[in-house]
Amino acid sequence: MTKYVAKRILMAALTLFAITFVLFVLIRIMPGNPFPVERMSAEMILQKRLELGLDKPILVQFADYLKMLASGSFGNGTSLYNGAPIKPIMLKCLENSFKIGVISILFGTVVGLFIGIVAAMHRGKFLDGFCTVVSILGVCIPSYVFMIFLQYFFSYKIPFFPYFFDASNFLSSAVMPALSLSLFAISTVSRFTRNEMVEVMNSDYVKLAEAKGLYGWQLMRRHVLRNALIPIVTVIAPLVVDLLTGAMVIEKIYGINGVGKLMVDAIAGQGVDYNYVLALGIVFSALYIAIMLLLDILYGIIDPRIRLAAKEG
Amino acid sequence: MRKILMFTLLILAAMVTACGGGEEKDSNTLKVMLGSNAVSLDAAQATDSVSFELMADCIDGLTQMDSNGKAIPAIAESYDISEDGKTYTFHLRDAKWANGDEVTAEDFVFAWRRHCLESTKYAYIMGATVACVKNADAVTKKEAAPETLGISAPDSKTLVVELDAPVSFFPSLMCFPAFYPINEKFYNSLEKGTYGTSPETFLSNGAFTLTEYLPGTSNIRLQKNNSYWNAQNISLENLQYQVVSSSDNALTAFKNGTLNLVAINGNQVENVKNDADLSKNLKIIPTGLLQYLSFNQDAKNHHGGALANVNLRLAISNAIDRESLVNNYVTNGAQATYTAIPINFAPNAETGRFFAEDQKQFSDVVSFDVEKARRFFDAAKAELGKDIFDLDIIYANDSGDTVIKVAQAIKSQVEENLPGVILNLQPMPKAEYLDRVTTNSYDIAITNWAPDYDDPMTFLTLWTTEGSEISEHWSNLDYDRIITECTTGDLAANYNERWSAMYDAEEILLRNAVIAPLYTNASAVLISENVKGVDFHSVAIERVFKNVK
Amino acid sequence: MEKNYTPQKEDFQFITERNLEIDSTFTSQGYWRGVFVHFTKNKFAMTGVFLVSLIIIFAVFAPLLSSYAYDEIISVTDDAGKEIVAKSLPPQFSNAVAQDYFSAKTFIFGTDDMGRDLWTRTWQGARVSLIIAFVAIFIDMLIGTTYGLISGFFGGTVDNVLQRFIEIIGSIPTLVIISILAIFMPKGIGLVIASLLITEWIGMSKIARAECLKLKEREYVLASRTLGAGSFHIIFTQILPNTIGPIITQVMFSIPVAIFTEAFLSFVGVGIVLPQCSIGSLIEAGFNNITILPYQILPPISVLAILMLGFNLIGDGFREALAPKLENL
Repeated sequence: MTKYVAKRILMAALTLFAITFVLFVLIRIMPGNPFPVERMSAEMILQKRLELGLDKPILVQFADYLKMLASGSFGNGTSLYNGAPIKPIMLKCLENSFKIGVISILFGTVVGLFIGIVAAMHRGKFLDGFCTVVSILGVCIPSYVFMIFLQYFFSYKIPFFPYFFDASNFLSSAVMPALSLSLFAISTVSRFTRNEMVEVMNSDYVKLAEAKGLYGWQLMRRHVLRNALIPIVTVIAPLVVDLLTGAMVIEKIYGINGVGKLMVDAIAGQGVDYNYVLALGIVFSALYIAIMLLLDILYGIIDPRIRLAAKEG
Repeated sequence: MRKILMFTLLILAAMVTACGGGEEKDSNTLKVMLGSNAVSLDAAQATDSVSFELMADCIDGLTQMDSNGKAIPAIAESYDISEDGKTYTFHLRDAKWANGDEVTAEDFVFAWRRHCLESTKYAYIMGATVACVKNADAVTKKEAAPETLGISAPDSKTLVVELDAPVSFFPSLMCFPAFYPINEKFYNSLEKGTYGTSPETFLSNGAFTLTEYLPGTSNIRLQKNNSYWNAQNISLENLQYQVVSSSDNALTAFKNGTLNLVAINGNQVENVKNDADLSKNLKIIPTGLLQYLSFNQDAKNHHGGALANVNLRLAISNAIDRESLVNNYVTNGAQATYTAIPINFAPNAETGRFFAEDQKQFSDVVSFDVEKARRFFDAAKAELGKDIFDLDIIYANDSGDTVIKVAQAIKSQVEENLPGVILNLQPMPKAEYLDRVTTNSYDIAITNWAPDYDDPMTFLTLWTTEGSEISEHWSNLDYDRIITECTTGDLAANYNERWSAMYDAEEILLRNAVIAPLYTNASAVLISENVKGVDFHSVAIERVFKNVK
Repeated sequence: MEKNYTPQKEDFQFITERNLEIDSTFTSQGYWRGVFVHFTKNKFAMTGVFLVSLIIIFAVFAPLLSSYAYDEIISVTDDAGKEIVAKSLPPQFSNAVAQDYFSAKTFIFGTDDMGRDLWTRTWQGARVSLIIAFVAIFIDMLIGTTYGLISGFFGGTVDNVLQRFIEIIGSIPTLVIISILAIFMPKGIGLVIASLLITEWIGMSKIARAECLKLKEREYVLASRTLGAGSFHIIFTQILPNTIGPIITQVMFSIPVAIFTEAFLSFVGVGIVLPQCSIGSLIEAGFNNITILPYQILPPISVLAILMLGFNLIGDGFREALAPKLENL
C-alpha cells in the first residue's frame, strides 16, 4: 500500500508539471494582451512585451517561470493590480473561498446523505417522493438565483444577515453563500445516495442480513452504507473542487473577494494576466489532483477489491 | 451517523448565534456603492474613474475642485503665471503626509518623473497634447533623461513647472491624479510593485486615509485623516465603499439602508420614478461620458475595409434613432448627442455656454433621417459595387446591461432602416475587446470616452493621426494641423480663436463620419436624504466627499 | 456402455408423439421489449415523458405560431414622431377597450426590457437550450462512457495514463478553453457546444470508471472471460448495460449543468449572442431586474424546472426498467 501511494504521489507531481506546461503554452495562445492596452500604441505594446520577456523562446520563458516557482513565488501580476506580488493577494482570496467552500461541502454532504438515506429507507412512500422533489428543486434552481432569494428575504425583508459579505463578521456573512452553494451538493449527493442505497438494499447479502434479524440503522451502517459509499464519494470529490475554487457569480452578487472572481478578472479584466491565470491554474490543479489522489486511496480503504486490483497491476 | 448529525447541528447553532451580532449604526459613516473594482491606487497604473475617485479621497494635488468644478487651491496655497503663460510657480502650504513627513515640492518632482516613465494609458497627459510639460514626450519615450522634465523644486515649498505652450486649463488639470505627489522616501522603502496595494503601502496627504483595502476587494474602508491640512473642515468620519455589480442589488441595498449612495440603471430608474417615497432620493447627474460608435477605416481590416467609404459610415450614423435609444433603452437621463463633444461639458470661459450646447449645428451629417441615410447608403453601394454589407460590431460586455441593450437596439434600427446591412453583435470580455481594438480586428466598436480635463481637446486628440492609430485608423492632415495649432501652436495663447478652431476640427470629424456619436451618459443615483454635500463632477473625479456634512 | 461413444442425433427423440403446449404467457421477451413495457407502465416515468414532450412541442411550434419574431422589438411611433417601445409590460391579454398603444395586443408572458415578446423568446430559448444540451450531452456520454469503461476495465498503466490525461484537461479553466476556441470558431451555439464537449465528458467518464471498477470483479464477468470473451466484448456487452443506470442518472444531472454553463458563458460574454436567446441567457437577463420585474424571470425558470423534473422522472423510469429487480420490492 505504501509503495502504491508513493507511486501515485510521484505521478501526481509529474501530472502537475505537465499541467503547468500545457497551461503555460495555452495562455500564450489566448486572445488578449497580458497587460492593459487601453489607448496604447503599437510601439508601447512592443516595449511592454520586451519588458515581460515575451520575445524569448517559449521554453526559455517556461524555464524562467519554473525557476521563479522554485523560489516560492508566483511572480507579479501583469495587468491586475499594478504588478503587485501575486501570492498575498491570491492567498487572501483563497482563504475567503475556502472557508465558504468548506462550510458548504460539510453542510451539503451531511444534509444530502441524510435526505438520501431517509428516502431510501422509505422508498416508494411519501417521504421518498418528498426527498426526490427537494433534490430535483436543488438542481433546477441556479445557486445564484437562490442566493438572490436568500438575500432578498433574510437581509432585506428580515435584516438578519448582512446584505454584503463582511470579512470582519465572517460567520454570519458566510451563511447565505454557503447555503446557496450547498444546494447543488445536497441534491446531487442525496439523489446518488438514494439510488445507490436502493441498489445495495436489494442485493442478496443485505437480504440475508435482514433475514438474520438486522434492521434499521444497524443494517444501514454495517451493510448498506459502506457499499453505497463508493459511487457517492466519486460524486462528492469533484464537487469539493468546484466549491473550493469559488463561485464567480455568487462572489460577485455578495461582494466576496474570492478566487472565482479573481480568475474571471485575470482572464477577462483589463488584459489577460498571464501570471494570475497560471498561478490560479496551478493551485486549482494541485487541489484537484490532491483530492483525486485522496479519492483513489480512499477507494482502497472502503473497497478492498480495488486495493487488490491495484496490487496486481 | 448520529455524530455527524450532531456536528452539523452544532455548526448551524454556532452560525446562528454568531449572526445575532450587531450592525453598528454609526451616523457619521457614509456607505457608498462602487460600480466596479478599483484598478489600482497607483496613478501610473489606474485607468478608471473608480480608482481616480479613491485617489482623490486620499491625496491632495496642487489644486482641487470646488462644488462647481472650479479649481481652487489645495496643496498649492497660491501660484504665479509668467507673462507668456509658460511658467507656473506654485507656492506650497504646510501640509503633512499621514506618516508625519512634510509634503514638499520634491514629492511632486518625483511623482511626475515617475509618471512619465511608468504610466501607460495616461503618460500622454503630461505631453504635448495636454499639459505640455517641457520635454514630457521625450522623457516618456526614454529619449531624454527624467531630470530634463520641465518641473523643478528651487526649495521645498516652491514648485516651478515649465510648459512648451500656454495651457489655459492648466490649474484645473492639476486636480487629476496623474499630477498628484508621491512621498519619495516612503515609496523607495517599499518592495517593488507593492505601492498602493494595501493600507500599509499607501500614504495619504488628503482628507481620508485607507483603513481596509486589498486589490480587487469588494469592500473598501476609509477614515478621516486627522493630519490633513484642512481637517477641521472635514466632518465625515468614515467612508465605506462597497462594490455592487447588479443594479437591482444596488436598489435593494439602498432601500435596506445598507448603502447611502448608489447608482442605478435604466430599468431601476423607471421603477424608482413610480415610487413616491424613493423618487425623492433620485438624482440625475449629468456626466461628460460620450458613448459612440467607432468605425474602423483601415482598408486592410478583416472585412475588406468597406467602412473606409464615407457614405457607408454616414448612412449608418443617420440610420440610428438616438432619441429612441435614450428614451427607451438607456432611460437613466442620458441625452441623445449629435456632436463629437458631449453635452454638459467644457463651458466657454467667457459666455459660460457648453461647447456642444448647440446640438443642431451638424444636423446635415449627424441626425436621424431614414431618407437621408438611404441616400448615403445608395451612394455607398454604387461606389463599392456591392449590396450586402456584413459587419461585426464589438463591445465589452462587462460594462453593465445598458450597452448590451444599446447594441441590440442599434442592430435592430440599422438593419431595418438600411436593408442590406447586417450587423453581427460580438460581445466579449474587456481584455479581448481592448486587444481587438488595438490590433485592428473589428468593423465597428461601441466605445466611450470620459473627459480627463475640462476642455474639448480631451476628446479631439483621440482622432489625430497618432491617436487614431489605436482605433479608427483615420488620418486627415487638416484636422491634425488644427489640433497641433490649438495645443502647442499659435492658437494656444488665443482663447477665442482656439475655441472656434476646435469647432472646425469637430466639423471635419463629423463630415467624415469618423465616429457616430450616440449619447452623453448620465448617472442616476439614489442618495439618502440626510446626506448633504456630495459633489458630483463631469470631469476627472466624478464624486468628491470632502464637503459632506 | 462403450468407452468412446459419441451420442448420435437419433438418441435424442421424443418418447411420445404429441403436440407440445408452449406457455405463451411466460415466453421470454426481448430485453429491450421488457424495458419498454416496464417503462411505459411506470406512471412517474410517463409523467416525465409528458412534461418533456410538452416543452419540446412548445419549443418547436410556439415560435412558429407566434405573431412576433423572437428578436422583434415591438414599437409604435407616436404623433410627434417619437418611437415608443412596448418594453417591460407585465403579462396581458388583448383588451377591447384600448387605453394605450399596446393594450390591444396579447403578451402571454409579458415583454422584456427591450420590448420583445417573452412568450416567443421563452420557447425560442427553450429550443436553443435543448439543442445545446442534447447535442453536447449525447456526445459527452459517448466519449465519457467509452473512456471511463476502458480506463476502469484495463486498469494499470492504461488507467494511469488516461486518468492523468483527464487531470490535465480538467485543470484548464473553462474560460481559457473557450477563449482559445473562440479564435477558431465564431461565437454562438457552436462554440458553446464545443466548450461543453471539452469540459463535461470528464464527469461522465468518472462515473463510468467507478462503475466499471465495481463490476469488473463480478462473477459474470469472470464467467464471460473464462469462456474466452475478448476485453472489448466484455466491456460493451457485459459491463456497459449494467452501467447505464448510473450513467443515465448522470446525464439527467448533466443537462441542467450544461444549461447553467451556457448561462455562465453568456454572463462573461462568450455564450449565446443576443438577440438570440437561451433559457440560460433569459434567466440571466431576468435576474438583473429580479426584484422590480419578477415576471420576467418566472417563465424561463419555470420551463427549466419543468424540464428538469421531466428528465429526472424519465431517468428514474429508465433505471428501474433497465434493472427490473428494483421494481419488485
